[in-house]
Amino acid sequence: MYHLLMGIIECAAAGGSGIDGDVSIMAASISGYTFSSVCFHSANSNSDHEGFLLGEVRQEETVSISDTQISTAELLQVVEIHNHDPCAQLFSFYDYAGKVNEDNLNRILKDRRKSVIGWYRFRRNTQQQMSFREQIIHKQLTQLLGVPDLVFLLFSFISTANSSTHALEYVLFRPNRRYNQRITLTIPNLGNTSQQEYKVSSVPNTSLNYAKVIKEHGAEFFDKDGVMKDIRTIFQVYSALQDKVQAVCGEVEQSERVKEKIQEDVNKLKQQIALRKRKTAEEERRLREAQNAESHPTSEENSEPSETSLLSRVAFHAPSAPERPGTSPNPPSYSDLLSQEDSLLSSSSSPTSAALLPRPQAVGSPGHPTPGPLGMGLGLSLGLGLGLGDSSEYENLVSEAAHLPMVSASVLAQGRPAALSPDGDARGSQTS
Amino acid sequence: MNNMSPEVALHRISPELRPLLCSVVRNGRVGLDSTNCLRVTDLKTGCTSLTPGPCCDRFKLHIPYAGETLKWDIIFNARYPELPPDFIFGEDAEFLPEPSELPHLVQWDAGDPECLLQLVKELIQQYHQYQCQRLRESSRLLFEYDSLLEDPNYGRNMEIYAGRKNSWTGEFSARFLLKLPVDFSNIPVYLLKDTALDPGEDVALLSVSFEDAEATQVFPKLYLSPSIEHALGGSSALHIPAFPSGGCLIDYVPQVCQLLTNKVQYVIQGYHKRREYIAAFLSHFGMGVVEYDAEGFTKLTLLLMWKDFCFLVHVDLPLYFPRDQPTLTFQSVYHFTNSGQLYSQVQKSYPYSPRWDGNEMAKRAKAYFKSFIPQFQEGAFANGKL
Repeated sequence: MYHLLMGIIECAAAGGSGIDGDVSIMAASISGYTFSSVCFHSANSNSDHEGFLLGEVRQEETVSISDTQISTAELLQVVEIHNHDPCAQLFSFYDYAGKVNEDNLNRILKDRRKSVIGWYRFRRNTQQQMSFREQIIHKQLTQLLGVPDLVFLLFSFISTANSSTHALEYVLFRPNRRYNQRITLTIPNLGNTSQQEYKVSSVPNTSLNYAKVIKEHGAEFFDKDGVMKDIRTIFQVYSALQDKVQAVCGEVEQSERVKEKIQEDVNKLKQQIALRKRKTAEEERRLREAQNAESHPTSEENSEPSETSLLSRVAFHAPSAPERPGTSPNPPSYSDLLSQEDSLLSSSSSPTSAALLPRPQAVGSPGHPTPGPLGMGLGLSLGLGLGLGDSSEYENLVSEAAHLPMVSASVLAQGRPAALSPDGDARGSQTS
Repeated sequence: MNNMSPEVALHRISPELRPLLCSVVRNGRVGLDSTNCLRVTDLKTGCTSLTPGPCCDRFKLHIPYAGETLKWDIIFNARYPELPPDFIFGEDAEFLPEPSELPHLVQWDAGDPECLLQLVKELIQQYHQYQCQRLRESSRLLFEYDSLLEDPNYGRNMEIYAGRKNSWTGEFSARFLLKLPVDFSNIPVYLLKDTALDPGEDVALLSVSFEDAEATQVFPKLYLSPSIEHALGGSSALHIPAFPSGGCLIDYVPQVCQLLTNKVQYVIQGYHKRREYIAAFLSHFGMGVVEYDAEGFTKLTLLLMWKDFCFLVHVDLPLYFPRDQPTLTFQSVYHFTNSGQLYSQVQKSYPYSPRWDGNEMAKRAKAYFKSFIPQFQEGAFANGKL
């Protein structure tokens, strides 16, 4: 039955007569209960009906900044209709000539006069156009009430000849402007169901009963500062969680340092073992050469030590994989970060920069894979299915680890910093 | 609900408002063009739809003005019939009369049936002034208006409609409707009797449309009330000279006026002249007159004998006699043509002068008959059969 309009349409006025300032756009809204109240009064009257609209007008300024660096400021005049004051009869504040009687006006409005922002009229089966008398009255009201942009709401009720369909049409005018006199009136929270939010209006709640009830029961929800208790509680939980996370960060740092120290020691020992092995091999070779000076030398035996060394290296990889710490599944190691920045030849492995603190990451965050079975050995470490593509450090690892089987002994001999990587100590053990 | 007859409108309107509408619909003639009376359409009600009828209290009033029809909404309240109405002036959204100029609104008296009609007349007056104000947009047209206003013959009987012909291009146009001060009172009554429509007041209106503000496209048109149009000889009487380029109304309008007056004079004179003519023939031919038009004196039939040869003479007198010569039709009483009609010959040119009086014309006619009849007789015997 009600004719509903959606959206707020801005009207650009080309300088209305009698309006100061450059207010260019006007939007208007009326609360649902006020609208229905006006309709109720109107529909129940057996003749034309009129009354006053109470509310407030405020100005909003929006500054929009675009890439072209030209910022435009728009002034939006927002009219909100909070309430209405129906007149008991026609011609109650004006005479036959349309002259407004100020005394009668005051008697009707009393102290609500200052919140009048417009007036309305209801007439059945007529055009949506201001009539002769309405225009005359409007001019006088604008002056008497001192509202330069007084609005006029016109209700029209159209019925079909057989009374099967009735339409309530309403148009909001601002007749004091020369152009674009009609403004779209929105009723918040009424209309299109695709609208998600429930809009709250800024109508001040003047109900005494409401204030009383809130005062009585408010203590259950609000603390002495007026803040809702739930909010405080939630905030406390949040703070506690933050503290715990900080503590864990410290622990992780500690364990990482310890682990690195051990790694260093292991590497040193490995180096020593390798050295000793080399020495032994040298001696044996010299002995054999001395012996071979009598017999033929074979080249097959030369490859053996490298194969055995390779095998020993491979065998060394496997056990290290399951020893990964469980608290932080895929943290980048300090050394990883260092290896990116420094050259490959750097041998330093102790992270001292504060910038290399681990990034606290939540368990199950989408950015990183959940902890799962990690690649054992070289073969699986090559697989990118572990989500190594996320962090660039891991990519480096993969690309470097891919070269592992093909790397010659000379490259492996280069000192590599100790690296904690998904594929265990693959890199670290390359030094030989 | 268009073309609603007045009676239907009166039937549907709320009983308390009926007298007001009655005088508007039955007697309401405003403006110069009084042949078109006020029309009422789109009767609606302002009461709830459950109110039993008749309870209509708002309608559209069609008012002829300066060649246009104004459609104004008039809004009453059936529940409060003592209250004055409100108006919506249709497309003239900027027309806002001053209430102090509308005494019948300020002192609205619902008990006076003429009140609404009087109020409408006052509004029309204000509307006229509003239109004249709009003429100010064109100095040329304003000059036309002012010059006409000064002439007492035309100044008081003028309706102006000014406006933008085309709201996009902003072309300005205006129409002047003037009542021509021509006296039709002496036109013989018989001429005015033959119209089927209610004759109303005899009036001649000149409508001059200016299609642009510089008065380069001007279209005049003459409107006559139906009886006058018939009396003056039909639509051919409406031929008026074209508006001279560069000319102005104050020169042109009197020209048209004079033309019309002359025509009327002709017609009046013609009537008298014809009467005189017929009277003279009656006295000259006495018993030879078979019949004549005793109302308009346009026809006369004589039965004459010459040397035992009888024949009829029908005389047809034209509207603009004596300027135009009467037509003589000789008819034999004995002979038939092949189509079964009486043998006749029409003579349009014979010795004649408009300056002769009736007697002289009768004498000359007699002489002519004598000279022509032998010829006719021969013709009748030769071409006709008994």
